Amino acid sequence: MASASTARRFKVGIDVGGTFTDFFVREAARAPVIHKVLSTPADPSTGVLAGLRELAGALEKPLDLATFLADTEVIVHGTTVTTNATLTRRGAKTGLITTAGVRDALEMRRGIREERYNNRYTNVAPVVPRYLRVGVKGRLDRHGQTVEPLKLDDVREAIALFKKEDVRAVAICFMNAFANPAHEAEAAALVRKELPGAFLTTSTDLLPAIRFYDRVSTTALNAYVGPILDHYLAQLQKRLREAGFAGALLIMQSNGGVMTPEVARKSPALTLLSGPAGGPIAGLAAAKPHGKECCIVVDMGGTSFEAALVEKTPVVIKEGEIDRLRCALPMLGIHTIGAGGGSIGWIDQGGLLRMGPHSAGATPGPACYGQGGELPTTTDANLVLGYLSPDFFSGGRIKLAAKAAREAIAAKIAKPLGMSVEQAAAGMYRVACTNMAQGVRAVTIERGSDPREFPLVVAGGAGPLHSCVICNDLDIALQIVPRESSVLCASGMLMGDLRHDFVRTFVDRLPDPRWGKLNALIAEMIGSGDRTLGSENIAPGKRRHAVTLDCRYLKQYHEVSFAVPLAAIEKRDAKAILRLFHDEHNRLFGYALEQEGTPVEIVNVRVQSIGVTDKHEALGQKFAGADAAAARKGGRSAYVFENEKFATIPVFDGHRLQHGNRIAGPALVETVTTTAFISASYDAVIDKFGSLLMYRKGREDLVRNALEPAS
Amino acid sequence: MSANRKQKAVDPILMSVFARTFRSITDEMSASVVKTTRSPILCEAKDFVTGLYDAHGNMLEQTENLPILAFSLGPVCKYIVKYFGDDIHDGDVIFHNDVFSYGNQNNDVAVYKPIFHDGALAAWAAVKGHQADIGGAVPGGYNPNAKEVWQEALRIPPVKVYDNGKLRRDVWDLIFANIRFDIVQHDLKAQIGACTIGDRRVRALLQKYGRGAFETHKTALFDATEKMMQAEIARIPNGTYSGEGTVYFDGHHQGSKFTIRVTITVDDARVKFDYSRTDAQTDGFVNGTYTSSASATLLTFLQFINPDIPHNEGMVRPIDIVIPEGTILNARYPKATTFGNHLCPPNADAIIRALAPVIPDRVTAGWNNLLCSLTTGVDPGTNEKYVDIGFMGLKGGSGAMRGVDGYDHIGMIDASGGVLDQDYEMFELQTPHRLIQHEYICDSGGAGTWRGGLGVETRFTIGSDATQLVTFGDGDFEPAFGLFGGHDSMLNSIELNYPDGTKMVPRNKDLILGVPKGTLYRQVAGGGGGYGDPRQRDRSKVAEEVRNGVISPQAARDIYGFDGEGT
Repeated sequence: MASASTARRFKVGIDVGGTFTDFFVREAARAPVIHKVLSTPADPSTGVLAGLRELAGALEKPLDLATFLADTEVIVHGTTVTTNATLTRRGAKTGLITTAGVRDALEMRRGIREERYNNRYTNVAPVVPRYLRVGVKGRLDRHGQTVEPLKLDDVREAIALFKKEDVRAVAICFMNAFANPAHEAEAAALVRKELPGAFLTTSTDLLPAIRFYDRVSTTALNAYVGPILDHYLAQLQKRLREAGFAGALLIMQSNGGVMTPEVARKSPALTLLSGPAGGPIAGLAAAKPHGKECCIVVDMGGTSFEAALVEKTPVVIKEGEIDRLRCALPMLGIHTIGAGGGSIGWIDQGGLLRMGPHSAGATPGPACYGQGGELPTTTDANLVLGYLSPDFFSGGRIKLAAKAAREAIAAKIAKPLGMSVEQAAAGMYRVACTNMAQGVRAVTIERGSDPREFPLVVAGGAGPLHSCVICNDLDIALQIVPRESSVLCASGMLMGDLRHDFVRTFVDRLPDPRWGKLNALIAEMIGSGDRTLGSENIAPGKRRHAVTLDCRYLKQYHEVSFAVPLAAIEKRDAKAILRLFHDEHNRLFGYALEQEGTPVEIVNVRVQSIGVTDKHEALGQKFAGADAAAARKGGRSAYVFENEKFATIPVFDGHRLQHGNRIAGPALVETVTTTAFISASYDAVIDKFGSLLMYRKGREDLVRNALEPAS
Repeated sequence: MSANRKQKAVDPILMSVFARTFRSITDEMSASVVKTTRSPILCEAKDFVTGLYDAHGNMLEQTENLPILAFSLGPVCKYIVKYFGDDIHDGDVIFHNDVFSYGNQNNDVAVYKPIFHDGALAAWAAVKGHQADIGGAVPGGYNPNAKEVWQEALRIPPVKVYDNGKLRRDVWDLIFANIRFDIVQHDLKAQIGACTIGDRRVRALLQKYGRGAFETHKTALFDATEKMMQAEIARIPNGTYSGEGTVYFDGHHQGSKFTIRVTITVDDARVKFDYSRTDAQTDGFVNGTYTSSASATLLTFLQFINPDIPHNEGMVRPIDIVIPEGTILNARYPKATTFGNHLCPPNADAIIRALAPVIPDRVTAGWNNLLCSLTTGVDPGTNEKYVDIGFMGLKGGSGAMRGVDGYDHIGMIDASGGVLDQDYEMFELQTPHRLIQHEYICDSGGAGTWRGGLGVETRFTIGSDATQLVTFGDGDFEPAFGLFGGHDSMLNSIELNYPDGTKMVPRNKDLILGVPKGTLYRQVAGGGGGYGDPRQRDRSKVAEEVRNGVISPQAARDIYGFDGEGT
């Protein structure tokens, strides 16, 4: 048995995706190790264990699984089992108990049809069918006062139905419960007694905030995926334990933080959009050595392109959606569009070239995979344009068939448009890049930020092939391709702190709210945060609590969230709080109504409790000088979009590039998992941590500390 | 010679880049309006449209949050270009709402900003939104008693509020001296802001690619879209087809009704909608304007073709719309017209009835017609005035089509699911009312092989004394119709049950004063029409719907011929 007093060596981030499971291992004073295996969707824990075994065996000094795991201090795990269960509607059979008269809100989704002119666009199936949504008598008013007592007989009837229908999970959400949890607690007690085996969620435990549809939808989702995550984590913990793991397992959340499996099992909806949540913080870590506190992080996979903005911390939004269903828990503001390596190119009826959103996926995959795919994809275009090497895709593990790619592009794009295969491929490449640039706009310009102010951190195998065009379009001068670009999310998982969000609705006006009540609510939430962090073995000195208020000008419909120092509330400093609100409103929307004297109303108060975890320092490389000749492995003909011509350009082996090596664009840099295209308007240099920095020609000022040895 | 060739050469890829970028610009303008406006009609219900136009006013792209406003922006832009001629400068901002110069509704105020490149007018950015007030006799603009435009609104023919970048303070003050609420000023500032966003991005695009490429590819894009629309029209057999829709009650004469008659002529790749045989204009505010009626025609037709078609000038080129002045769809100056947008549902009915026999697999059955109410009063809990537009109550179901059930609780066809319910708890926070019920109505979807979308029942208790209730709409005389053996749905209705036990049924265009606290408000929004014989409906669906209580066991047996006990 490993001695408890010896610090264990390894920290592991594991990101289970749809196609690949990514591993990222940190060990003190060593370069991190990256590993990828195919995912095993039927039982993802099988792939996790298999990958860990392979990974241990592939270390510089190979270990067996048991030894490796015994020496692993923490595993941070990002899982999409809840996401997939929701997307495929394979969650638990769930019943909803709600206020009589409003049981359809869950399915109505406030009556939206997202596609205005499409009569074939149907509503999404609710996670609880109507016959399992039961309205019960009992009513609270907007202040939480009881208008009509809860009718327990109605609750009993619901329970009887659920028993008969073999319901496995129960959600409880009552009108105005945000102001008073009593009715929900009463109903929950009865459910617990009568249906002890069912997974139970009450809206006031999960999200005691105003807005009924948001709350009922989030509560129902939580119940729906509860039994699934419960089962999965039990399975995973058992397997890891049996394999010799005695460290801590932490689970990634949609808000970019991590939590223990116990917290995750109670609030499984926190994992619903956690898939890409590790990326932004890892992106920031790559930007920080260059004096940047803010960055845009993009991740291009096989079917999707994700973009997020980091402004000192990743941007958090208060509500998101999964498959058009509202999930109102705080989550990172990550924008996803259907653009990836597998995106299919097609010609619409008017003769316009389109890329995606349909994807060839992993099977049949792009035409060049030679697995029977006949439709031309972004990857096929990249091959024809010379960006990808037929013999070095995935380090040579996958041979690419250039002939198949050309044939697909010729048949579906070039012939109909009357152009050459090369011209058609260049067009596909450009349209795909335009789509991705719009994804970046969505998280910057459309949220009031100017993308030119930020470096673009580029992740995903094919991301750095497209980023020069995106940056040309958006006038971004610096791109950063981290060494662990292909497993960015997994690496980010080791950088996350424990984060727990709490919210209470508190409707009152500044400058004279009920201060006593406000302070009591905050104290109550901080108490909950302390208890949760305590249960996760976080010492008091490592705990932080941050307060946020959601406010609005009277009669506005949307609130602005802004951080408030706890001291300002304790000292009842309304002036300071109002100053923060007006400033934030002005920053977001370009105006404030301060002069007009419009009253300001508080709607919600939030607390985020943070447990700071230990992180390994990244290991820097020695400065090796500007000459990259040692890493040059040849040249090939590739398309240079700036002058719309093919040219023979040098190709470098990314694994042999060292700190300080400089490359003039146009050029290609290949590693096993990633290929980067440095276009004619960019040059590149390798920084201390192995990141490839691509900067606008002449802008050496942006990468100064990569150009010379660290002082 | 080479410069000429450069200008003429169309790069299909660049055309795609332009098309995609135009759309992203109008989307970005739209996002800006949602975030910056204060009136819930704009920021919650999204009753506005953003668009880009070329130097002549031809539509480049639009983001049509509420389609009924959408197809008035181009015609007004063309009018403005003609009106100001040489007198258009960089930095100008122009307002417009006048329904007698191509505006669609008085409350829908448009902001236009010319976009310059190399000192020449190159394009326009525009935002049109429904304002919380526009002067006239009644706050909010819906005045069932109006007979002329002056009782409805302040008319704004094209007027510059900024000239060469300078605010014309006198003009601005003149306009807002005639409008009740300050938030209208704020909201129009927000619209100007969104136009500025469009201006910046189009300028950047012109700088990058040059005016020549912009013009060439714009023209090519119009041509490509026109081809798409022609191909869609060509899928409809040549011929002449007629249909009718009925408008009930003009706000003045009990029992009055009016018929909209459309004659649709399909001639290869062109289609003509001719309303010459439509009834004459009314004496009240139940009248359309040319552009509100033409918008209704277009948005209905767009429902029945490929939804992917880009929205630009090329899309409308193969379509002719003839609406003689003096008809209910195109009232003559100075008639009142505020209800005009809501003539869309009966207009859509007429089009569907005309086309159903010809393209039976592409039309839907009838949609639920709008019946809306608005309550205002003083909240006794806060002592503050509140206004509530009853969005949740007005949204019925859409008509079914071959292969697809109607959409439940989507609302009138002129919004097509773009207008959202108030959140229940926000409703109870912002008004003194208490919600009792907002649920699907069993058997409200017109029965059919494909069932109409479900309607909803809404009940709440009114929480203030001396409450004022305004109703406007239709659908309480004639339900959404079924097609090809599909059944009709049910009627709209609104009723008030006063605390003293009396019951009151407002007319579909009415103003009720002094509604007391404790009154029970009840509204039914009917469903959509069904499509095809209900006896042919998939049995497992019927079983599931019986189980879910949206089809009653009795209807399942009697109408659907279903004898199973469920699954």
